[in-house]
Amino acid sequence: MVDDMKLTFLQESEELLQQMEDALLAMEEAPDDEEHLNSVFRAMHTIKGAAGIFGYDFIVSFTHPVETVMDQVRSGNRSVDSDLVALLLECKDHTANLVQTVASDNEDNVPAELLENGCEILARLTGEGSENNSVKGATPSVAGASSPIEAEPQKATPNDNWVIALDFKQDALRNGLDPLSFIRYLQRLGEIVNIITFTHDMPAANEMDPETCYLSFRIALHSDSNKDEIESVFEFAVDDCDIRILPPHSKQITYLELLEDVEPESVQRLGDILVGIGAVTQQELEGALNEQEAIIDEAVANPEQKVKPLGEILVERNVVAKPVVEKALKKQEDNREKASRDAQYIRVDANRLGQLINLVGELVISNAAVKLMVDKYEIQEAQEVVAGVDNLVEDIRDHALQLRMVQIGDTFSRFRRVVRDVSKELNKDIKLVITGGEAELDKTVVEKINDPLTHLVRNSLDHGIESPEERLAKGKPAQGVLRLNALHDSGHIVIQIADDGAGLNVEKIRAKAEAIGLVKPDQVLSHRETLRLIFEPGLSTKTQASNLSGRGVGMDVVRRNIDALRGTVEVDSSVDKGTVVTIHLPLTLAIIDGFMVGVSGERYVIPLSMVEECVEIDNHQLDEQRSYVNLRGDVMPFLRLREFFDVPDDEVGDHSDRRESLVVVRFGRTKAGLVVDQLFGELQTVIKPLGKLFQGLKGISGATVLGSGDIALILDVQGVIGLASQRGGHKQGLVDHA
Amino acid sequence: MAELITGYNIEYEETKESHDESNAQYLTFLIAGETFAVGILDVNEIIEVSEMTDVPMMPEFIRGVINLRGAVVPVIDLAARMERGRSELDKRSCIVLVETPLSDNQYQVVGMLVDSVNEIVEISQDHIQPAPAMGDGIDTRFIKAMGRVDELFFVLLDIENILSNEQITNLEQLKRMHQSSATTL
Repeated sequence: MVDDMKLTFLQESEELLQQMEDALLAMEEAPDDEEHLNSVFRAMHTIKGAAGIFGYDFIVSFTHPVETVMDQVRSGNRSVDSDLVALLLECKDHTANLVQTVASDNEDNVPAELLENGCEILARLTGEGSENNSVKGATPSVAGASSPIEAEPQKATPNDNWVIALDFKQDALRNGLDPLSFIRYLQRLGEIVNIITFTHDMPAANEMDPETCYLSFRIALHSDSNKDEIESVFEFAVDDCDIRILPPHSKQITYLELLEDVEPESVQRLGDILVGIGAVTQQELEGALNEQEAIIDEAVANPEQKVKPLGEILVERNVVAKPVVEKALKKQEDNREKASRDAQYIRVDANRLGQLINLVGELVISNAAVKLMVDKYEIQEAQEVVAGVDNLVEDIRDHALQLRMVQIGDTFSRFRRVVRDVSKELNKDIKLVITGGEAELDKTVVEKINDPLTHLVRNSLDHGIESPEERLAKGKPAQGVLRLNALHDSGHIVIQIADDGAGLNVEKIRAKAEAIGLVKPDQVLSHRETLRLIFEPGLSTKTQASNLSGRGVGMDVVRRNIDALRGTVEVDSSVDKGTVVTIHLPLTLAIIDGFMVGVSGERYVIPLSMVEECVEIDNHQLDEQRSYVNLRGDVMPFLRLREFFDVPDDEVGDHSDRRESLVVVRFGRTKAGLVVDQLFGELQTVIKPLGKLFQGLKGISGATVLGSGDIALILDVQGVIGLASQRGGHKQGLVDHA
Repeated sequence: MAELITGYNIEYEETKESHDESNAQYLTFLIAGETFAVGILDVNEIIEVSEMTDVPMMPEFIRGVINLRGAVVPVIDLAARMERGRSELDKRSCIVLVETPLSDNQYQVVGMLVDSVNEIVEISQDHIQPAPAMGDGIDTRFIKAMGRVDELFFVLLDIENILSNEQITNLEQLKRMHQSSATTL
């Protein structure tokens, strides 16, 4: 149980810190945006609160001063500059480290240097805010850090007294009340500093009724009691007396702080919030509500009458100070927002989602089996039902997969920090431009793309973009631009990392590749082929290895990672113009729409998103000699899957009149034709991995189980085209250089 | 093991209940007329040969993949693996499913195509002899030991080596050769 809660704490802290970082980086651009300020404040505040619940005092004592500084910034007492942002980023990192000690179960034994480091950061943070050096808690103590409310210095300001207004009704004496007894009793709660008796209601002596009470009192009471206790003194007088109790000034601060700590669990009504923190008593609230009701009644009769909100009534009745109401209203708004946010998102264990998706996969297969059965036995009545179920299953599948789709924007924006830090470190001026962040892909893919992306971004920062002086010398703007872009293309997501830096030096790559024996000196390589060499192990052209990149590992790891995701990576570059790395990735690793084709007895599935069209062809349309087909004037290469995969022919005899079909597939800008024997049509395809044994197999990306229980292999169209062009390319090469 | 008994007609010898620590049970089967065995603890189950799907561009001893209750499982032709030629399928052919360890504590279920399954035998430790330095044409890496029941000797196969990582790497090399041979056409 505790572990569960701790896990939640860790997760939330991580998310909040991420939000804080995003906000801080955004603040650098737009220092006056209140939303970012609030976001940073919220992160620190929430972590502080949560850490307090768990008793992680070392986190509380660090985050609290940071929160205080943020509060100063929010209230305009401190301005935002890049130094402050840098410092706050440090604070964020330090908090992350502190949270990390919790994650590694080290909370009882926090490393001393970490704490010292924290003190040092705080000293800089609070020390620089010169106008307010007295930030409390600047020297965090590990054990028993006092809670923020108690830490608030009890300043004895002149108006540090309760003000009690007692307006007795005229019948008070007749009802047996003695005003003086209340005042005497009040002394037991504290010292009555001053008392003013109002007698302005007193009529002339001859008109005065001795049994009528004309008196009002204003009492200044110095007391540590809370409002409820004070009100209880007048418990018996409620019916015959108007009582208003105004808190002392210092109490108002307490109320404000209490409001800050109101549990955001439920959306409370304003009155309940105020009663909850003790700013208003239940009695006062009821009185105000009655008044409001009366106003509403009036408003019904007279539409001119404006209905006053409860807060306004409370302030008017002098039971509570305006700032407290305002704060409470804001808090209410915040909570409402949070509640609606919580309602929109539910945290779900990723494993459960995975299970669900597996089950949906099995459902798809079972459904296919049912369909097959109904077709086979020609059960007319069942046809319609099956069609209905089929539609539902397809919807369920899409929705189940959608659950795991996340926007890539979050992954991208993590690089803002990387770009910022690295450019500072290298004394470069680099701007990160993110586009297409709303493109969605499977979470399992996102997780695995993070590392390769980091490598590529760091490469661009380190090797790609030059220093400002160099750039100016080349006639480029001093500020370099790194672009991260994402877009959808035929069932794939395309991620581009582009910089406007120095570009790749083809000669250098070539020389290095020759030096390590990757290519022979007489080998002829195209521009693209040479560029592709950078993905080979052991190739780094930077002679001096920096701490970021340049050790010659990296690019080959990038390619391996992307290969493992059944994606591809391409690089294009021109000297002094920049480099573009383009990654193609499948959207999901679970279920796709497929198109099934037959070759002899074997069946293959082509991802439907890659199929452009299918046409029946006669043999004479194919130029067998040159492996090109002319389709309505569009010339494209083709390959016979039977030959390509070496599938044994199950038919004997003359093949010339065999009817074959051409499936036109497209990948990126490449179009190609696959010649197959049969077309089976669309099929929901559950991707089953082939396992490690087939890891290096190009051209086949997985397998799927058909309704009949048979297995069909899923074609990796990119792989097939790649292999074919390799084979074809060499053939071409042989012809060219013969 | 229930599947093992119900799934195939094997005379499970319940008689010798004395599971001595020095005794271990082995499943024996025929490949190209010869008897081989694997430790019974390595065997998941035995199934009849069902429809197999060819995987193109793989060496001959990868017979294809089967659908095992929804999972795609590769099948290795043991005869071809031990260079005794592709085994012919008949009524008695079956697939012995074993778990092979891969790197990082992962396991993969792999089917071994055999000509027929014989029986489960119990062999005492002193009837097990180390693999001979040179065998009768079998890659010695595949031999874990030699077992003897009465006067009959047979090879105890080393499953890990039959499809070890190294072997998979070899597969990749084979495949590359396949590709390059295709490219030089």
